[in-house]
Amino acid sequence: MYLLIFLSRRLLQGAAVLLIVTFAIFTLLRVVPGDPARLIVGGMAPDEVVEQKAEELGLNDPIPVQFIKYLGEIAQGDLGNSFVRARSGSMGGAVAFDDPSRGDRAEVLDLIIERVPLTLQLAGLAVLFSLIISFPLGVAAGLNPGAWQDKLAFFAGSIFVSVPNFWLGIVLALLFSVHLGILPSIGYKGFEYTILPAFVLAIEMSPFIIRTLSVSIAQIMQEEFISVAPLRGLMRSRIVGAHAIRNASIPLLNLFGIQLGSLLGGVLVIEFIFDYPGLGRLTINAVLQRDFPLIQGIAIFISAMFVFINIAVDLAASFIDPRLEY
Amino acid sequence: MSDTATKNQAPGQAASAASMLTPTQRMLREAWSKPSFKFGFFTFTVLLLGALLYPEISSIDPTKMNIKARHTPPLLIGDWSWAHPLGTDHLGRDLLVRCLVGLRYSVLIGCATVVMMFIVGCGLGLLSGFKGKYTDTIIMRITDAQLSIPMIILAIAILGVSRPTVPAIILVLGLSGWPLYARVARSVTLSEKSKEYIKGQRVLGASDWRIIFLFVAPAVLPPIAFVAVLDVARMMIFESILGFLGLGVQPPTPTFGNIIADGRKYLLNAWWIATMPGLFLLFTLTSLNLMGSALEGARNNVLRGTV
Repeated sequence: MYLLIFLSRRLLQGAAVLLIVTFAIFTLLRVVPGDPARLIVGGMAPDEVVEQKAEELGLNDPIPVQFIKYLGEIAQGDLGNSFVRARSGSMGGAVAFDDPSRGDRAEVLDLIIERVPLTLQLAGLAVLFSLIISFPLGVAAGLNPGAWQDKLAFFAGSIFVSVPNFWLGIVLALLFSVHLGILPSIGYKGFEYTILPAFVLAIEMSPFIIRTLSVSIAQIMQEEFISVAPLRGLMRSRIVGAHAIRNASIPLLNLFGIQLGSLLGGVLVIEFIFDYPGLGRLTINAVLQRDFPLIQGIAIFISAMFVFINIAVDLAASFIDPRLEY
Repeated sequence: MSDTATKNQAPGQAASAASMLTPTQRMLREAWSKPSFKFGFFTFTVLLLGALLYPEISSIDPTKMNIKARHTPPLLIGDWSWAHPLGTDHLGRDLLVRCLVGLRYSVLIGCATVVMMFIVGCGLGLLSGFKGKYTDTIIMRITDAQLSIPMIILAIAILGVSRPTVPAIILVLGLSGWPLYARVARSVTLSEKSKEYIKGQRVLGASDWRIIFLFVAPAVLPPIAFVAVLDVARMMIFESILGFLGLGVQPPTPTFGNIIADGRKYLLNAWWIATMPGLFLLFTLTSLNLMGSALEGARNNVLRGTV
């Protein structure tokens, strides 16, 4: 019962957040300069064609009217068609205004869903890498507060958080692709293309994980149930592994929910640098091409993911620690 | 500041010399005792002075081309010459001077952005925590919404079309980074509001604004001061990312982002153009982050009452 109440309340709040995001992005895109009708028909089209296109797309209506219309379409599961991208995958930027292929625009939802698996693969591998980097550092620091392990974790964290991600991407590509020739770094033709971008992303995430782990483990080790555990005959490895890390995983989960936004920001830049064909590169290109429906679709999709993941994080936390309330 | 200090003090604490200080002063004193803070502070000061003075003193113009000296490698790799310690780029421009001028813009944008986030965020957070009810709900939902869009998307969307001038960049970054401040300010306000002395002020007839500005606002500052230092570094990274994407301060003005973006094209014959400015930026940011983290640790110690 509690679960139901919790879920319905959070979903309702999530819907409110989504509505605000949609409205904000929608308005923002229509306020900033840049005429999408001109973009769709191409630079060479006569003014009448541009005007006709704008009328056809409803771009001349007042913004609130456009917004209500858009909401109606979303309610039917239709995120609209891209302004610029053809179904065949070509950009269509240079096609003449009377070319028939201009009429055939890709659906926004398809464009997004197509890219999601690659981005999830990148994000998943990055989380794995960052856990591999952060766990030894963070746990060792948490178990030995004030000792050299703690200082090492502190300095590693301070340096990792200071690394500009695009620069690290360039340096790693230079080292591993150009000089050593071990790993590819541009585009995507197989799993190995995910490794370098994922590593850069992992370095970007790890300082937060190291910090959270070391702080929460140090705190938990002070608790009574840990100090009596040796009296119960438990081995130290079991105390740390089963008790301390289990309890420390809750702040870690919460961190993940909070950091998701900046993680996505990192994905964006890194996909752009490595020319990795995921959601991030799609976003940057959509923004640079003023492809309104696509930008809106991506923003809604990302915020929806954000809402759901945060609900899932809270649920997971309450399963790990039943004392937590929803 | 001094009356909030006495209120924040743990009851029963001995009136030693240290406890006569305000929490902020104790926090600074505690942070200063750490070597990492001192290291960060000195490094950053030297770099900042360098950025302010060196381009003025030296005769090298950051935008002056010198084709004869193009692709000069940095100090320890090429000839032993101090003419260009970090080397030169594809047009023979000195990378050290360019980095230092870039640092000026980076620090300017970083600091101005944080000040803006601080004002907007704390303002909304104070309002939200103090008014409660619908105001609170609305502001907090807007905060959630803002947090769920990566700020870089917003920044690219806006700067991609409007001319990326320094004020525009500050405005965009500042507007997209305030939610954290709003949350902290709100939670401090909530805990402060329920304290006895605030209720006493109410009985005495103090207005909302008087209570907010005289009593609640000063309490918000200490828990958020270290976040601000860390955020200057974070915003400097964002500034460089925007520059790299071509959406930052435009060339010929050098910024870390656009130097690295330029250098990327010459990676094979002159690797240092892209890597040296990044290393420079990394060094600067590390010094800032060491300072910020030391402040954070000091604040925790002060809160725990161990100092």
